Amino acid sequence: MKKMIFPAAIAVLLLILPVMLTSYGIKLTAEVFIMSIFVLSLGLITGYAGLVSLGHAAFFGIGAYTIALLGKFVPNTFVLLASAIIFAALIALLTGFLFIRSSGAYFLMITLAFSQMLYAVAYKLKGVTGGSDGMSVAASLDFGFGPISGSMGLYYVMAVSVMICYVLLRMFINSPAGKAIIGVKENESRMRALGYSVRSYKLLAYTISGGIAGYAGGLYAFYNYFVSPDTLNWNFSGQVLVMIIIGGVGTLFGPPIGAAVFVILQNYISSYTERWPMIMGVIFVAFVLYGRGGIANLLLLAWRKISRRQKEINSPALNSSEKISKDETKGVTEA
Amino acid sequence: MDLSILFVQIITGLAYGMLLFMIAAGLTIIFGLLSVVNLAHGALFMIGGYFTFTFINQHLNFWLALLISVILLAILGMLIERFLLNRMYGKELEQVLLTFGLIFIFTDLVKWIWGSSPKSISIPPLLDASLTIGVVTFPVYRLFVVVVGCAVALLLWYIESRTRIGAIVRAGVDDRHMLSSLGINFKLVFAGVFAFGAGMAGLSGGLGAPILGLYSGMDNDVLILSLVIVVIGGLKTWKGAFIGAILVGMVDTLGQVWFPSFSMVLIFALMVFILLIKPSGLFGKGVDA
Repeated sequence: MKKMIFPAAIAVLLLILPVMLTSYGIKLTAEVFIMSIFVLSLGLITGYAGLVSLGHAAFFGIGAYTIALLGKFVPNTFVLLASAIIFAALIALLTGFLFIRSSGAYFLMITLAFSQMLYAVAYKLKGVTGGSDGMSVAASLDFGFGPISGSMGLYYVMAVSVMICYVLLRMFINSPAGKAIIGVKENESRMRALGYSVRSYKLLAYTISGGIAGYAGGLYAFYNYFVSPDTLNWNFSGQVLVMIIIGGVGTLFGPPIGAAVFVILQNYISSYTERWPMIMGVIFVAFVLYGRGGIANLLLLAWRKISRRQKEINSPALNSSEKISKDETKGVTEA
Repeated sequence: MDLSILFVQIITGLAYGMLLFMIAAGLTIIFGLLSVVNLAHGALFMIGGYFTFTFINQHLNFWLALLISVILLAILGMLIERFLLNRMYGKELEQVLLTFGLIFIFTDLVKWIWGSSPKSISIPPLLDASLTIGVVTFPVYRLFVVVVGCAVALLLWYIESRTRIGAIVRAGVDDRHMLSSLGINFKLVFAGVFAFGAGMAGLSGGLGAPILGLYSGMDNDVLILSLVIVVIGGLKTWKGAFIGAILVGMVDTLGQVWFPSFSMVLIFALMVFILLIKPSGLFGKGVDA
């Protein structure tokens, strides 16, 4: 029961947050939610399966273009979003089948090349996608009770979506398959020796990740009413990877934090100066040098420190094995 | 298609391939020894081009401008390795964030200093000619770039197989820890290799500027193609990069003539084809890098 307090508090906070925000803030927060879903999807393969992709925007873009292209013919939101997910997941399955044979830097470069190819296609196929001008989205978000177009409505759709994705991913990671995937990241050869089909588990994670990224892209198309090839560009993939690293790799609550920090910083800095890319770049570099594994990990460290102190206050004679090992060095110096 | 136009296209493709080779070779050599994918390598190429442009505008001749740019790029590479990258060894994600951040900084600096309108460098007068053999007319500068590319390949071969530095680097690629236990100053070797790679990117940028022009986003174009070349050729082998660069340069150039919308798709199809036959690339040894 106690474990549920924190997530519940966050959920309530997200639901009442719009009251405190300006209309611009609400719109920006909705964007943070979309990015959070996207970052969560990449976080699944990067943080848990150990696959560093620099081409994840491919799936986001596939989702977005699915809504834009299919939305001309099919108005139903459920059908559209489902197709965005299925189509992105299918492409992830097919490409993953080919790419996951390689790992490390190789995987990074191959995924990058793939997404750039899609970018080039979207850029050059002017007749279908509008080329660099992009295309507007005809369909509007409608879950059966009227079209949702105001920023408040969009906010709640995105907020609920990000919470659902978070919970689903949490369930997946705690499932036997999720545990096997983490095992693969920790020690691939041992998992293979234990009889796990390492490649299938990685492919499963990659496919799920692609589907969720497609969902994020689909939501983005509805949110933005407009889709451009930039949604497929590797620069976008790189930014999302940066969000994960800022937030914290290998955690589920890190990626949304990273997304929030990135989107808000970018908006804030770019409203003051044209030189925002340089300032963002300097921040990234400073973060790599002094960030210590992301905001989530910093928070976790702080949390552990606080809770340990709390325990010491509540029961000074506590002799948990963790406490002994942590205090071992301290005891030696005191003695 | 007219035969002479085809020949010119082939030379153009080869010249482009050689420019890409100098970048890709730097990438794979750096990756081989340092295990770093330097995403900022395209940005270094771009800076090399803009430096050369600036020095020519200061009334230096092309060759001197090129030389100074290469030296400055090597120094820049050395600084990056010594002050930033050397803390990131073995941390793949951090390297991605660092080099990605450098792209933001470098491309924005270029925009700030030189503006976002495209620039061009005229071909050095010595080579601004065309050579006619029979019915076919070759642009001399492009031929020259092909020759330089081949010379760089020869130089790499010589350094790798015939010199002490080459032996040290080869040993480092195979076993990095062995290097330091043999009493070799590996810090110096690492910085040197990174500086060398950055210098080659600068050389390529300066040489390429008269052909390709200077524009924002050029770093992106060459980076993507160079990474594809590295994937096709195989990691840790500049020989693979040489073959891969010729393939990609030709497919890109000829593809743009025949299928202007789909040259990138052709290159990707080439990559997938090669990966299906040989997952580690043409000259690669292991799949896991």
